[in-house]
Amino acid sequence: MLGLIILAPLAGLLNLSTLPGYEPGDLRFWHSGYIRRVLFFSLWQAFLSTICSVLPAILVARAFALQPDFPMRGLLLRLFALPLVVPAVVAVIGVVSVYGSGGWIPLGKSLYGLNGILLAHVFFNLPLAVRLLLPQWQAIPGHHWQLGDQLGMSAWQRWRFLEWPALREALPGIMLLVFMLCLTSFAVVLTLGGGPKSTTLEVAIYQSLRFDFDPARAVVLALLQLGLCMLVAIVTLKLQRLPEVEITLTSGSRPTRTIQKPLNIALILVAAVYVGLPLLSMLIDAFKGQLLGVISNIYLWQSIGNTLFIGLAAALLSVSAGWLLLQYSASLARAGQTGKAKLIDLAGSIVYVVPPLVIGTGMFVLLSPHVDVFAWVYPVVITINALMGLPFVIRCLGPAMRQNQARYHYLCQSLQLQGWNRLRYLEWPLLRRPLGLAAALVTALAMGDLGVIALFGTPDTATLSLVIYQQLGAYLIPQATVTALVLLLLCLGMFWLLERGIGGKVDA
Amino acid sequence: MLEIRQLAFAYGGDQAPVMQFDLDVTAGEVLSLIGPSGSGKSTLLGLVAGFLAPSSGQILLDGVAIENLPVASRPVSIVFQQHNLFPHLDLYTNVALGVDPSLRLTREQAGAVKAALERLGLDQLQQRKPGELSGGQRQRVALARVLVRKRKILLLDEAFAALGPALRVELIGLVKTLVHENNMVAMLVSHQPRDALIASPRTAFICDGRVATLQATVELLEQSQLPDVRNYLGTM
Repeated sequence: MLGLIILAPLAGLLNLSTLPGYEPGDLRFWHSGYIRRVLFFSLWQAFLSTICSVLPAILVARAFALQPDFPMRGLLLRLFALPLVVPAVVAVIGVVSVYGSGGWIPLGKSLYGLNGILLAHVFFNLPLAVRLLLPQWQAIPGHHWQLGDQLGMSAWQRWRFLEWPALREALPGIMLLVFMLCLTSFAVVLTLGGGPKSTTLEVAIYQSLRFDFDPARAVVLALLQLGLCMLVAIVTLKLQRLPEVEITLTSGSRPTRTIQKPLNIALILVAAVYVGLPLLSMLIDAFKGQLLGVISNIYLWQSIGNTLFIGLAAALLSVSAGWLLLQYSASLARAGQTGKAKLIDLAGSIVYVVPPLVIGTGMFVLLSPHVDVFAWVYPVVITINALMGLPFVIRCLGPAMRQNQARYHYLCQSLQLQGWNRLRYLEWPLLRRPLGLAAALVTALAMGDLGVIALFGTPDTATLSLVIYQQLGAYLIPQATVTALVLLLLCLGMFWLLERGIGGKVDA
Repeated sequence: MLEIRQLAFAYGGDQAPVMQFDLDVTAGEVLSLIGPSGSGKSTLLGLVAGFLAPSSGQILLDGVAIENLPVASRPVSIVFQQHNLFPHLDLYTNVALGVDPSLRLTREQAGAVKAALERLGLDQLQQRKPGELSGGQRQRVALARVLVRKRKILLLDEAFAALGPALRVELIGLVKTLVHENNMVAMLVSHQPRDALIASPRTAFICDGRVATLQATVELLEQSQLPDVRNYLGTM
């Protein structure tokens, strides 16, 4: 079923000949300067975003690792987890609020284009990279630090012999992950891109479908994007596995050692200000803007309803599909078919390399000749968002579920603990925390999605993300800021509710 | 000679000391430290190495106080149970780091590294990485580094706990020889009373953050009437 949902749209992409505007042997797309420009800009902005995010993240993660006693360290690490659940359009509003004209650090018109894209991408990916890099320092055995001290190593020698070897294992994977995220970034480029000069493949696909109604060009662009993503994924697999993403909002750190250095503290504070400022500025702007006017608008409440419905339905679908996939993979593993079991696990993560907009384009192309796709908004948007959430579900649930199977399967068999009883006494108590986290993440992700809803959405079915985009497009920045605040609070609130509601208290 | 005089340690620094140690180790001697988990054996080694700061007391080596020296300046080498070697460096480099962490070795120093590896029977393996070695070989490399560092005090913190009995006997024998040849003082923390019997004429029994008794190993293990010792040995 999962395969069908992913493969059918991809097959739709390959069926170019049925598309309006396509003539057999027509290669004008490939020779077009537009596509070359778009391709170059996609790669260039992703490359620059990766460099600008990961290199400072190395310094900041190191500062965090070497300052275990820094006050507010836990709080700041929580702040660095926030971009995991902050919708991209909300971050964009924050960036505009700080760096836009009238902002605290006004960049004027130069905000729109590459500068703005970089600022927003770094907002998202610097904290992510810090959280991925920090465990590399924490994995350095305490005895190695002690040996370093005893051998009289200088700071440079500690970096060379202790820190860099630990870091370089993970660095290529982290850089490729960030590169992939920036390559497939849609909302940021759409809202901050600022015209044809700063268009990526994802945005060009959207423009081809929604503005130019040129499905053939959209398909070519989507195939190009798919090819690029697969290339990055292959390189990543060749180099190493993707790093284990620590999916949690807790600080998740343990002290390493203390080397008091004002530079480290300064680095932490600068990074914290960089991440915290857009959110703070947005909050202030929202309250001094047209808060009451926007909140009293019935259209906003309709969008809140749509957002919640899509988020929760996608989470339900994604968690159910993930649960079934993992159960099936566990049963295959028990039967000794470990190869097949791994394949099933991998299938759940395949959407890592197939961007939502590519699946959306495939669905658009596949369905549009037969049905009115805009009448199918909810099922299509919910399904694609559920698919996007599947890797998170598998990442959250998989380890706990496999551990459960390994530890208790034979015990359950001997006690004849099956079905409802097994679910009630074994699986629910042990899996509710990762389950809650998975549901919370997918809900927040789907609620904040702009790519799929922008492709299929109509005024009646608009989510808050789409409303923000529309308000930005109409230069209604104060209104967009208030809507962004509502979306942010809704995402955080739902995240908290689901994580706690399903997962229970931390010590449960 | 190593003298430890009323060496006190307090968690958090400003509280009342929870541990206080007094003992002597003579040159060429391997003194064993045994005692229950959490009794303070590793803390004592940490204080001598400088990883932990004492709240009061003295550590004297040949009459010179060393308790205020920074870690790198102390005449101490330590071998842990694991993580003694950097996994990404070959054996030669792991040992050479003991001479100079910048790895700018003179010809004599490079020769000393090779000689130490040869002395420990590792000369054929010097290009290998630690991951390619057995547990015993890895500890031998750590001992080779001890040799090139030429520090007077050797601390062994459960250094051989992960090895089989025959290998433990062999490596403890090697340590005794090295300590004797180089006129070092050594302290060996172990959970195995048998290690103490092989390694040391004298053993200190550490309990509740204090040296409960320091006496001939055979006497301690076979004749001690101290309830804590008998409880620890399971002879109560």
